[in-house]
Amino acid sequence: MTVALDEAASEAARPQTKRKARGPSDARRGLTLMSPVFGYALLLLAIPLGATIAMSFWSQDFLTFDRSGTLENYAAIWTDDMPDHWTGIFGSYWTENLYRALLLRSLSVSLFVTAATLLLAFPIAYYVSFHVRKNKGLWIFLITIPFWTSYLLRVFLWKVILGYEGVVNASLMALGVIDEPLTSINYSINAVVLTLAHAWAPFAILPIFVSLEKIDRSLLEAAEDLGDGPIRRFFRVTLPLAMPGVVAAALIVFIPTIGDYVTPKLLGGKDGLMISNMIEVQFKKGNDQPLGSALAVSSMMIVASISVLFVWMNRKYLRARPS
Amino acid sequence: MAAPIITLEKVEKRFGDVVALGGVSGEIRAGEFFSLLGPSGCGKTTLLRCIAGFEDPTSGAIILDGKHMEGVPANHRPTNMVFQSYAIFPHLSVAENVGYGLKKQRISRAERAQRVEEALAMVDLAGYGHRASHALSGGQRQRVALARALVMRPKVLLLDEPLSALDKKLREQMQVELRRLQRAVGITFILVTHDQEEALTMSDRIAVMFGGQIAQLDTPQNLYRRPMSRQVASFIGFMNFLDAEIRADGGHSIDLDVAALGRVEVPSSQRPGKPNGRKVSVGIRPEMLTILMTDSETAEREIEAEVVDAAYYGDMTYYDVRFPGVAEPAQISMRNTAGRRILEAGDRARVGWSSESIVVLD
Repeated sequence: MTVALDEAASEAARPQTKRKARGPSDARRGLTLMSPVFGYALLLLAIPLGATIAMSFWSQDFLTFDRSGTLENYAAIWTDDMPDHWTGIFGSYWTENLYRALLLRSLSVSLFVTAATLLLAFPIAYYVSFHVRKNKGLWIFLITIPFWTSYLLRVFLWKVILGYEGVVNASLMALGVIDEPLTSINYSINAVVLTLAHAWAPFAILPIFVSLEKIDRSLLEAAEDLGDGPIRRFFRVTLPLAMPGVVAAALIVFIPTIGDYVTPKLLGGKDGLMISNMIEVQFKKGNDQPLGSALAVSSMMIVASISVLFVWMNRKYLRARPS
Repeated sequence: MAAPIITLEKVEKRFGDVVALGGVSGEIRAGEFFSLLGPSGCGKTTLLRCIAGFEDPTSGAIILDGKHMEGVPANHRPTNMVFQSYAIFPHLSVAENVGYGLKKQRISRAERAQRVEEALAMVDLAGYGHRASHALSGGQRQRVALARALVMRPKVLLLDEPLSALDKKLREQMQVELRRLQRAVGITFILVTHDQEEALTMSDRIAVMFGGQIAQLDTPQNLYRRPMSRQVASFIGFMNFLDAEIRADGGHSIDLDVAALGRVEVPSSQRPGKPNGRKVSVGIRPEMLTILMTDSETAEREIEAEVVDAAYYGDMTYYDVRFPGVAEPAQISMRNTAGRRILEAGDRARVGWSSESIVVLD
């Protein structure tokens, strides 16, 4: 005790200069530790992002870029009607602004996937947290099993399951439930939603599970003690306290889903394409990289604003609180 | 005597092979401050949780206000609980916490707000309603938990070691306040505690529990003065034990031969536990033994002893003295009044006692 006090006293009495001398070296050490990751982030995240944003204000002149700066790419996405050269291709089949339509479709698909994933993930997380007594770890381990296979393979497997002559259709036909294969489940927006919801489910289950685990069980007893039945208690205590996990899960699912490229490409069919597929088209076949960049930036802005809105709506539950 | 608000009939609770409550019976009277006292693992919290409805007894009955509670869930019982951890809802403000249970009842918003404010005032937290609950101190959280339960106007308020998380000074202050509050609202309080001092100072009656059984259910004074077993006697305060033999049992009085102290006759009221057999022990509290410092001081009975150890505490001195023929030293507490001598180890002492101060135990 006295030794510790003496040490503290001498620490306090030590000249300030010596302390200051330690400051820069600490900072330098911190920078050194951080620099590989920082360099990586700069090289592979910040610079490409900056380039994309810059390029979205350029325009393509066949093989060269006009770098004078223009908003016409954004105008093509947000304000203009269907461009003429597209009308030439589609004729009367498609008359609205294709970019806007794809952005809205991507948004609605990802919102739908997020809602579906949360609705499916919450009961699983709830069950494991509240009703599994032994081996919770084993359950969590089992939930992560889908990750043992690559994302691409899982998408391919859904193709096998949902295809025209896939597992579902073949089984239903064999059972005599349907006479001809269902087309609503393959190569459509439904298939995209189903596949994405499955692919992201573990990412949603884990944060919700963690936030449910953190709920002090005596709070649930207190709610019951104060007159709440199980349902009222769920909506007044369990769900609000699980909100940090639900918000995290929603963002984890929503943000990557809106830009998903593989699933719509493989399972979307002609009506299931999303904005990322159009971005690819612009960068490659369309040879209009500035427009592709503007599409990418636009979809990023949509994601960012909806995420911010979502976090803001739940700010009451996300406030940091000491336990 | 007031009618019982709670009747326990052979309440038994098993968790697998573990018997938490081994057939507890007893009555808790309306309006009393009742304590369940015992060491950890004695079943006191389990009993409280059975009354609250968080646990179902394996067998036996709990009758609360004339109604059998079997199958009645906690949210339909006229009881409210103050949890050991306080269980304050972290996502709600103080007022929302206190008004939590009122929201379901069909009362107007204005009346609800008024009752919340009244309840907060009752626990000295008037004006704290808008505060965020996570910004409260431990003592304030405890008061919020109390207000939240009291605002429901329960028939019985259950308190699960509510003071154990507070520091000593705050705990003593809350003991006084809880007692005052209980008298003011007139609600039956059932307090679970392992702190015998807390139970003694606050309760009208105490059930001392060991191993899932009520060892003795009595008033604080009776528990201290007339414990029914050695276990109860040594759990509440300190007790010196001396071997004794019953020479004659005359019904109204007992003739005893006590080691070192000699023959003594005591009324049978000083044998509350009614131990069987001739070999018994007698208990005597440290403050019931007096060291006679001067020749002018006398006592009903006196015995020569040797001081083995003396511990000076300022207001009190605690002596360990050895009686002739008894290996285990006895403890004596003496108030340090003006001019009273402090003895040292090795001194001879004349120890005075009276037949009234002993209790015959198993």
